[in-house]
Amino acid sequence: MECRVLSIQSHVVRGYVGNKSASFPLQVLGFEVDSINSVQFSNHTGTYNVEQGYVEEFALTQNPLRPSGYTRDTSFLEMVVDIVQELKRANPNLVYVCDPVLGDHGSMYVPENLHPVYKNKVVPVADIITPNQFEAELLTGKNISTEKDAVEVMDLLHKMGPDTVVITSSDLPSRLGDRFLVSLGSQRTLMPDGTKSTQRVRMEIPKVDAVFVGTGDLFAAMLLAWTHHYPNDLKTACEKTFSVMHHVIKRTISYAHDLAGPGRKPSPPQLELRMVQSKADIEDPAIVMEATVLNL
Amino acid sequence: MSVSVWVLCPSVLWLDSDFTLTENTLDCGLGIAALRAALNTKPAFVLRGLCSVFYSNFMHEMECRVLSIQSHVVRGYVGNKSASFPLQVLGFEVDSINSVQFSNHTGYSHWKGQVLTADELHVLYEGIKLNNVHHYDYVLTGYTRDTSFLEMVVDIVQELKRANPNLVYVCDPVLGDHGSMYVPENLHPVYKNKVVPVADIITPNQFEAELLTGKNISTEKDAVEVMDLLHKMGPDTVVITSSDLPSRLGDRFLVSLGSQRTCKLMPDGTKSTQRVRMEIPKVDAVFVGTGDLFAAMLLAWTHHYPNDLKTACEKTFSVMHHVIKRTISYAHELAGPGRKPSPPQLELRMVQSKADIEDPAIVMEATVLTL
Repeated sequence: MECRVLSIQSHVVRGYVGNKSASFPLQVLGFEVDSINSVQFSNHTGTYNVEQGYVEEFALTQNPLRPSGYTRDTSFLEMVVDIVQELKRANPNLVYVCDPVLGDHGSMYVPENLHPVYKNKVVPVADIITPNQFEAELLTGKNISTEKDAVEVMDLLHKMGPDTVVITSSDLPSRLGDRFLVSLGSQRTLMPDGTKSTQRVRMEIPKVDAVFVGTGDLFAAMLLAWTHHYPNDLKTACEKTFSVMHHVIKRTISYAHDLAGPGRKPSPPQLELRMVQSKADIEDPAIVMEATVLNL
Repeated sequence: MSVSVWVLCPSVLWLDSDFTLTENTLDCGLGIAALRAALNTKPAFVLRGLCSVFYSNFMHEMECRVLSIQSHVVRGYVGNKSASFPLQVLGFEVDSINSVQFSNHTGYSHWKGQVLTADELHVLYEGIKLNNVHHYDYVLTGYTRDTSFLEMVVDIVQELKRANPNLVYVCDPVLGDHGSMYVPENLHPVYKNKVVPVADIITPNQFEAELLTGKNISTEKDAVEVMDLLHKMGPDTVVITSSDLPSRLGDRFLVSLGSQRTCKLMPDGTKSTQRVRMEIPKVDAVFVGTGDLFAAMLLAWTHHYPNDLKTACEKTFSVMHHVIKRTISYAHELAGPGRKPSPPQLELRMVQSKADIEDPAIVMEATVLTL
């Protein structure tokens, strides 16, 4: 495989967020990863020292597939957009994978002035985006209360640019009960007759009782990889991606509980993703959840 | 080539995996790869009993943390880019402090980027320390151009050794090659007086070994004496990665030597020393990042074979051989017939060499010197 990714994300000395979260799994899957480190921190800021009250989500930028991640600075983000546009001129087939990190659970955790930059400049040049429900609502100005709402929001996002949208998590009620959350995906493809066809999928994801950092970055990286291998099959790409996440998270939480001891809540260092230990799952994830194709 | 492998184990648990095999893993690699995948993807408790019969200790989940302080390049494989992926693939946790961030290595026509100062290095280390996560099994360093940065590295190593007295510091004392220095001269006394004394494993080339000890190497006997002098300075393991000594296999080969002082005591109370020699095929190209990969892989293989320098060297030099062979082959394809490959074309085929890194087929033998 000759596939080169440009990833523009944070670097942490210890742990797995940003480029640390994205590079190893992509390399293990055979991608060449060129990485520009937007910052170099000792560790992620979300958990260790509670300097800031939010969880950082980083994404990758890749070339030809590019996730873009957590950024706190509008000028940096605008520079990323310039770079993407230039790279697309050099390679029109480049795929820009963007995690439009704005916030979660009803509130923004980046400066507000990033919102218009994402909406007006970044998302329009993105090909694949991985917003959560809050970000999807913020970018489209439309609330999601039902699956129908979510489909309309994803269609609005398609109109803005990206042909592939995955709402990574939502508050929609799951068919499997309240131990599960709902994720949705939508992919527009061009048919031979010139019309666009849209495949929409839905997944019930088991909730986990812990706060992880770096999982969004891993998700975007793995979605990049699996949509690369299954470009017209969002169902399979999502099943692979969510399954990898499941294996890594399960291994991580199990180890974290071992470290913390019985009845004790694991600390942030203990909850660092068991990335290196999950190599085999990354290479070849056993599918542990099924995506339902929505018939609309 | 894609092969489906089924492994039937005593408790009637079926496992299947699809593997892509390279020409290096056809024989025992197939079985090992299948078992490895099986251990990781299925309930492992049944398999561990089966596998421990076949397997050496390195498939048990390893908890080994390396602090690597090296360069970062956006594109290509030097410094941390060269060291991290292979060590992670081998199951090491790698914490990495990037001493610089450049677009690419400086062998290209152009390079741009930023450097980390000694103070900034200190700040990053403080961050780790504040969280009380400054517990490392290994420290790995390579190319540095700044004395204050190097001195900060030494301070950090000393502090980490106080936190964990079993920490192993693997140091590539990068000073120069082929008779001349390619770092500022004032780094020499810092390496000699401060760095090497706290190192446990060093990987100098002949020039660096001579410079550090003040003694020339013209014969194998000289090399052994130089390695003994280096042991006296601190490190129990020394590998002279390349030399001009004439090889028994002719001038298409160069000679590498290694020396390891072990805990075993001789009858007279002195430490026992194992010395090895290897004839390494020369390659007609300039690679960058190979020294960094070498130091990282020597770290890994001395970890798995702590009292067996012969095997550690065979594994390490074999990995190098596979990666270099794949790289030069690809570089020539890119360059076209009769054309000399360019630095971008000669970037190590690191990601493509994953299987060789995980389980290198031994392609050269180390001779144990009996002295």
